[in-house]
Amino acid sequence: MLMPRKVKHRKQQRGRMSGPAKGGTEVSFGDFGIQALEPAWLTARQIEAARIAMTRHVRRGGKIWIRIFPDKPVTQKPAETRMGSGKGNPEHWVARVKPGRVLFELSGVDARLARSAMERAIQKLPIKARFVIRPGAFGTPEVEV
Amino acid sequence: MSEMLLNATTGRERGSRASRRLLREGKVPAVLYGGDLAPLALAVEARDLRHAMGGDAGLNALLSIKVDGSTYTAMARGVQRHPVKGTVIHVDFHLTDPDKPVVVDVPIALSGHAAKVHMAGGIVDQQIFSAQVRARPAAIPRSLVLDIEDLNMGSALRLSDVEVPEGVELVTDSETTVVVGLIPRGVKGGAEEEEGAKGAAGEGAAEGEAAQAGPGSTAGDGDGAAEASDAG
Repeated sequence: MLMPRKVKHRKQQRGRMSGPAKGGTEVSFGDFGIQALEPAWLTARQIEAARIAMTRHVRRGGKIWIRIFPDKPVTQKPAETRMGSGKGNPEHWVARVKPGRVLFELSGVDARLARSAMERAIQKLPIKARFVIRPGAFGTPEVEV
Repeated sequence: MSEMLLNATTGRERGSRASRRLLREGKVPAVLYGGDLAPLALAVEARDLRHAMGGDAGLNALLSIKVDGSTYTAMARGVQRHPVKGTVIHVDFHLTDPDKPVVVDVPIALSGHAAKVHMAGGIVDQQIFSAQVRARPAAIPRSLVLDIEDLNMGSALRLSDVEVPEGVELVTDSETTVVVGLIPRGVKGGAEEEEGAKGAAGEGAAEGEAAQAGPGSTAGDGDGAAEASDAG
């Protein structure tokens, strides 16, 4: 699973996730992508599950890009612990995702296979997301007005 | 390339709230600048803009913008899109002299079928999707066509292999790789794709490609890099 090799601080504050994504909203590397439509923390496990679902469906061929990285540690206190005595232990890693963010990209397969593979990957995610095609590719318009 | 006519109005309110109001009314906020002209805040009908940009020239269309009785020749330089809907939310129009060359991005289209690559079970990996060219607005091609019929497995076609029409000069380095005949995942070293039934955390390094972290990184199948269990 994806996780940082080294971090400056072991624990982070939670933060807010209002508004749409400010960058990474376009398909930049491949021909197809999965775009988030809701804000969420995606865990490394969910990202990995989505990636595996996609890779298995595509079988051979295709190239996959993961456009997000789980760099935020999430802490948890052990079960049945009294409150207090400090913040819990880092348990897992998440990627902060805002609406519009492209999560995965895919190329080297035909549009039908890409769509079905990515729809399977979307099922592994805790948010609404959609399949997108790079503007200008496969007959899609360059500009939508 | 023909010139498209676009009607615009001045005197729009500025600011995000006013712009959102405009968008709801079916108009797109825009700005016209360049040369000695003081920047003009405009509003254009979304329908007209779609028509203008959806022509043969695409985003590089030469536009005749009619504003308050005067006509300006311009090109769309910056097109801002809504991150979720993908619709245009703002356009920068840059005054353009039709007789002077301009530098623009032109999409690269692949033509033909890379039979040798497909026969070998490979994929055609396009590395760049557009290239910068310098040309007079009327000579800007809709796309640069690259024939991939002769692409071999493991070989690359560069920008110098692209057919560049007369009157068009490449600005992007001609040695830039455009497409590569790539060996797909799971074929390297003859090893078949090995996901393993171990679940998410258990991928071995069956293939050499490790999933590198970070935006734009490619993910191979074997994630040798980060397969440790959760931190903690």
